[in-house]
Formats: sequence, C-alpha cells, structure tokens
Amino acid sequence: MESNGAVLSIESLNRRFGRQEVVRSLDLAVEPGQRVALWGPNGSGKSTVLRCVAGTLIPTAGSVQIAGYRAGDLPARRLVGASLSQERSFYLRLNGRTNLLFFARIRYDNQREGARAVDALIEELEIADIAAQRVDRCSTGMVQQLALARALLGDPVVLLLDEPTRSLDADARGRLWGALQRRPKAAALIATHLDEDVKLCDERVSFPV
Amino acid sequence: MTSAFPFPFSLPRIGVIAALVRRDYMVQRSYRLVFVLDVFYGIVNLLVFYFISQTFSDASTADLSGAPTYFAFASIGIAITIVLQAASGGLAHRIREEQLTGTLEALTTQPITVPELSFGLAAFQFGFGMIRAAFYLLLSGVFFGVSFSQTDWVGFVTVLIASGAALASIGVMLGALVLVMKRGEVLTGAITFAMGLVSGAFFPIDVLPGWLQAIGSIVPTRFAYDGLRSAIFEGGGWGGDAVALIVFAIIGLPIGVWLFGRGLLHSRRAGTISQY
Repeated sequence: MESNGAVLSIESLNRRFGRQEVVRSLDLAVEPGQRVALWGPNGSGKSTVLRCVAGTLIPTAGSVQIAGYRAGDLPARRLVGASLSQERSFYLRLNGRTNLLFFARIRYDNQREGARAVDALIEELEIADIAAQRVDRCSTGMVQQLALARALLGDPVVLLLDEPTRSLDADARGRLWGALQRRPKAAALIATHLDEDVKLCDERVSFPV
Repeated sequence: MTSAFPFPFSLPRIGVIAALVRRDYMVQRSYRLVFVLDVFYGIVNLLVFYFISQTFSDASTADLSGAPTYFAFASIGIAITIVLQAASGGLAHRIREEQLTGTLEALTTQPITVPELSFGLAAFQFGFGMIRAAFYLLLSGVFFGVSFSQTDWVGFVTVLIASGAALASIGVMLGALVLVMKRGEVLTGAITFAMGLVSGAFFPIDVLPGWLQAIGSIVPTRFAYDGLRSAIFEGGGWGGDAVALIVFAIIGLPIGVWLFGRGLLHSRRAGTISQY
C-alpha cells in the first residue's frame, strides 16, 4: 500500500496511438473503497486508462501503480479485477460456469477454493441461469453479468469496469451496485457515459483529459 | 521500462497449464465432427503414400534409413510431421484464435506468467498431435503392413518426447511471431513445410542439392525423423539423435519463452493485444 493511502496511483499518464494523443497528463489517486467514474463520450480515452491500469497497455509516459506495484506486473495483476471488452472476452462454446472456473483456476492456487468462489459469485449475482448456458447463446447483458463475476474473482483490491451497466436491465444494475457495496474496501474505476452511474460514484473524472 | 512479464521466470504452475489444456479440450470436443474428420484425413494421408509406395515397389530401399519399404519410411515422416505441425503451429493457431475471439486480453489481465501462457496454450495441440502420431503409426502397422518387430520402444518413446520438446521450442517462437504479426500463421505454415522438406520427411535428403542438405543437417526435425526411423526399423542407433533433440530443447525453450514475452510486451506497447 502506498504511504498516502491510495491503492491506485496514476501520475502524469499519457498514452498516444501514433500521432493521436488519447490521454494526456492524467493524475489520479484512488483510495480503498472509493468509486471513481471516468465520465465522457465514446472515444474520449476512458477505456485506454482502464487498459493502462489492467496492464494490457503500456503508458507512453507517466506511471500507474497498484498498491505500490507497477501496473501489468504479476503482483499488480493479482490485485486487479477487470471487466473490459465484455462481449469479446469469453470462450463462446463453453458455458458461463465453465468459463468462470477456468479463470478461477488462474486466480486461485487451490482448485476447490476457486470452484467455491465461482459458485458463491453465481449465487450472489443471481446468475445461475446465465452460468448454465453456453456463452454464444447469451445476450450482451447476460455476458456483462458474467464479466462482472469474473472481475470479482480473487477479491481484487481494484476493480476496473468498462461501461458495466450499458446493457443491463434495472434488476441486474441493482445487483451490480449491490455487489460493489458489499465490497467496501475494493476501489473501483468505472468508465461510463451514463449520469445515473456517475451519481453512485464518489468522484467523477471528466474525459477527455 | 522493463517487461511486466519478467525473465528469468518462475516455474509454471501445473494447475494453470492443466486448466488451459482442459479448456482447449472442451472447446475442441464441442466440434465433435473434427475428431472424425481428423482420423479420416490421417487415413487418406496414409493411403496416398501407400499407393505411391506400391507404384515404386521395385525401387531400391538401400537409402531409406533402415525402412524396409518406401511406405514404412514415409509413415514415420507423416507421424513426425503431425507432431511438428502440432508443436510448431499449435501455439500460433491458439494465439490467433484468442486474438479473433478477443479472449487474449482477458487472459493477459489475469495473474498468469509467460511460461504458463505459452506452454499452456500450446500443450493441448501438442499432446493431441502426439496421440495422433502414435495412432497413425498404429494404423500403419495394423492395416498397411509396417513392421514394428525390430522396434526399440524405449528409443521410440524417448525420441518422440525429445522431438516434441525440441519442436515445441520452435512453436513458442512462432507464437511470438503471431502475437506481433497477427496473420503470422501463414508464415508458420510455410516454415513447418520447409522444415519437412529439408529434413527428410518424405524422401531421403541425399536427393537434395548440397546446400539444402547442409540446412537439413541442423534443423531438429532431421534428428526427429532419423532417430525415430532408427528406433523403429533398426532397433537402436537413436541415441545421438535424441541427445541432439534434447540439447535443442534445452537451448530453444528458454529462448522461445523469452521471445514470447517480448512479443507480449510489444503488443502492450503498441496497444494491439485486443486487436486482430
């Protein structure tokens, strides 16, 4: 943990794609339990920031640290749960539970512990019907709920959620926010362009920055 | 900035590799007809070489590495080529599928190391290739008269495993290529085919021009073909080939994993992990 109490620390983050500067000089410190909305229109760089924190993208300049570890390093990835491009992130010919068990096997050294965590999340998020279906037979909203379950595996200290409510009905949205409330120590970085999401967060960072 | 996938690396977790193998098996199993078609393809492949052998049944077999017939010679070529394709093309194929389905990014956000990712993605295809190779050799014996009466089975298993390890190192290197180039599977196919050409898969390398023979003498497939033919048809003389393959694997696997890590690092820098 950083001395200032921030579990996620972003300093002077800059990311370019070719000549296009997508994120410029972003500074952000997120404390445990804090919900921060990255708010802005499509293409304004919100997802790019999430990817820099998840470690699938390396900043052009600046630094991203999770509990003192550089984003993308193995210890940092253990602490982060990410739901990025949900629609294209599962093995379509396997059912939801099998997908979750697979990712749990990577997160948990003990197979039974991983299976218990998967079943607990399926129950908590009320997605038993979704988990029993092959992913290619699920709607976008159903896959989003699976993606949330995957992000919660391993009790991450930082959650990265990219437009997590976009395709959800009211009940599913309620379950998502409920799951976050039950994890008061987990920091969440939520990319959204929806005002109702922003209202449920503690802080808003407007994009483009 | 250094790699987030550090090298030197820790030993891969067997459970994670097993999870990747199980996942690939379950996905493969969901395409049930593929298994049947694969067996059909193998039998047709054997038939082609069987009839070629029948056509030239009067030709001398003096230079066929101890094989009593051309078909016996070629059946080893087919078996090792299957392992070669599975070991060298398997990871490239899996990476390409992960890119196309978008799961590569989801995988790389997980706490998984480079060796776990590279070996895990390659393992099912590799294991499946070994089983197919053994199955086709069995078919060659049962239906096409290839004799295994002289076979040194310890040598056979040793050379087959050593071949797999040596060829897997090439596979991991080619997987790194696909990470960077995206459509690199065309190149991996060409490399695999060329290796078969210069190392005596379907004909003795003596018929090649000198400069191609020189290339053929250093590629690992050459040792795989020679070692396996010696073990099966001569009942010995495979030791040197096995040692060469093991040395190649010991040197090649760490290099392959390192290159795979560099390929991932390149993708993270370029922002192309989620692209196809």
